[in-house]
Amino acid sequence: MAAGVDCGDRVGARQHVFLVPEYLKDASKKMKSGLMFVKLVNPCSGEGAIYLFNMCLQQLFEVKVFKEKHHSWFINQSVQSGGLLHFATPVDPLFLLLHYLIKADKEGKFQPLDQVVVDNMFPNCILLLKLPGLEKLLHHVTEEKGNPEIDNKKYYKYSKEKTLKWLGKKVNQTTAALKTNNVNVSSRVQSTAFFSGDQVSTDKEEDYVRYAHGLISDYIPKELSDDLSKYLKLPEPSASLPNPPSKKIKLSDEPVEAKEDYTKFNTKDLKTEKLGLPTGHFVMAAQRQKRGK
Amino acid sequence: MESGVDAAIKRHRVHLRSATLRDAPPVTLHLLPCEVAVDGPAPVGRFFTPAIRQGPEGEHRGRTTAPGSRRTGPRAPHLLGSGGRCGFEVSFRGRCLRGEEVAVPPGLVGYVMVTEEKEVSMGKPDPLRDSGTDDEESPLERDFDRFIGATASFSHFTLWGLETVPGPDAKVRGALTWPSLAAAIHAQVPED
Repeated sequence: MAAGVDCGDRVGARQHVFLVPEYLKDASKKMKSGLMFVKLVNPCSGEGAIYLFNMCLQQLFEVKVFKEKHHSWFINQSVQSGGLLHFATPVDPLFLLLHYLIKADKEGKFQPLDQVVVDNMFPNCILLLKLPGLEKLLHHVTEEKGNPEIDNKKYYKYSKEKTLKWLGKKVNQTTAALKTNNVNVSSRVQSTAFFSGDQVSTDKEEDYVRYAHGLISDYIPKELSDDLSKYLKLPEPSASLPNPPSKKIKLSDEPVEAKEDYTKFNTKDLKTEKLGLPTGHFVMAAQRQKRGK
Repeated sequence: MESGVDAAIKRHRVHLRSATLRDAPPVTLHLLPCEVAVDGPAPVGRFFTPAIRQGPEGEHRGRTTAPGSRRTGPRAPHLLGSGGRCGFEVSFRGRCLRGEEVAVPPGLVGYVMVTEEKEVSMGKPDPLRDSGTDDEESPLERDFDRFIGATASFSHFTLWGLETVPGPDAKVRGALTWPSLAAAIHAQVPED
């Protein structure tokens, strides 16, 4: 089927431009089905977000959208408004599990996982329990109990200490990636930064850690992000801010623009068109700047 | 009616037809620096494509690599500054556009995907569906689920800017570095 003809047939059908990992194509040879978009919780905001779930490889991907004003696509012999570019990138399911573990921790007791990961808003969360190697993952963020002589069930309880340690490692490996990718992490906007090798030497280690902390904070609740900041011994971004309860101020870290966009996205389109939130790295530079002031 | 739809979305799964990822024919993509408020067919091959010419600097230097793909070392000289830029030129609605080819970051592949209308998948057989292997109903599929399929694939697209080629600090170039950062954020951390 020629794509040109195809486009002609689909008058007005919304076309999504996607970038996905190459191995999904290879994996599709072996599997009949098992790739699906589902709505799950965004562990940072608690709202809904679109994820791509691979039943075959038992892998979870998040969908992020590049969206900038005044863009459109020409796709063969058709035009698509909006100029959106969707990214499906692997996501560590532990961030989502953590959302539920923290919620369940209010009850303050050890619980089996299937009683922790319960969600009326996003019932597809049960898919998370199908992911392989969960026990090993949970090791990073929970205390666990189990008596193999009675049953094979494991009981888990959120551990903040372990979680912070785990997040600290995440920040370290993200910091390393920022350096290898020559991402400009300084609070000043320098148009040269994205491609100039010299920039690396002028960015301070602290800037990298702060930027990495910001990236990770997009996957954890606000409170934990503050704790992580202390754990990393990041200085308060500004002395002019009122002292301890910096929470209110930091609320602006939540991608405000993204929310707006998402709403627009919603009103225009229904259902599947709600593929994702343009958050994170895309608005990151601006946020880092705000925070730096 | 409204609340019914809402309830359906909550439990919604949109299945991606895996077979379409293998069969997707190549597509030509242009990212324009303007909003065209229409979705639908357009005679791109009649008006736009034939008007594309090489930039004033001489011959097109070929595909450039996406910013995120260059993991080590300084950027290649041709990405530095806009003075030596060449690439393509075209006009759209009387405005001059300059652009260049941008490659999909390594390890990724581009797809154009279209959601199937419910009516199509319920009624007559859909072309995306009759791939033989996908016909068996998986237990994961439910009545209210929907389907999406790739109609085309790409490994590069043409990025257009108004008057000048979008610079290295263009947001879309930044976005293309996201997959490599995401990989680091979400990689498993070593056990103690």
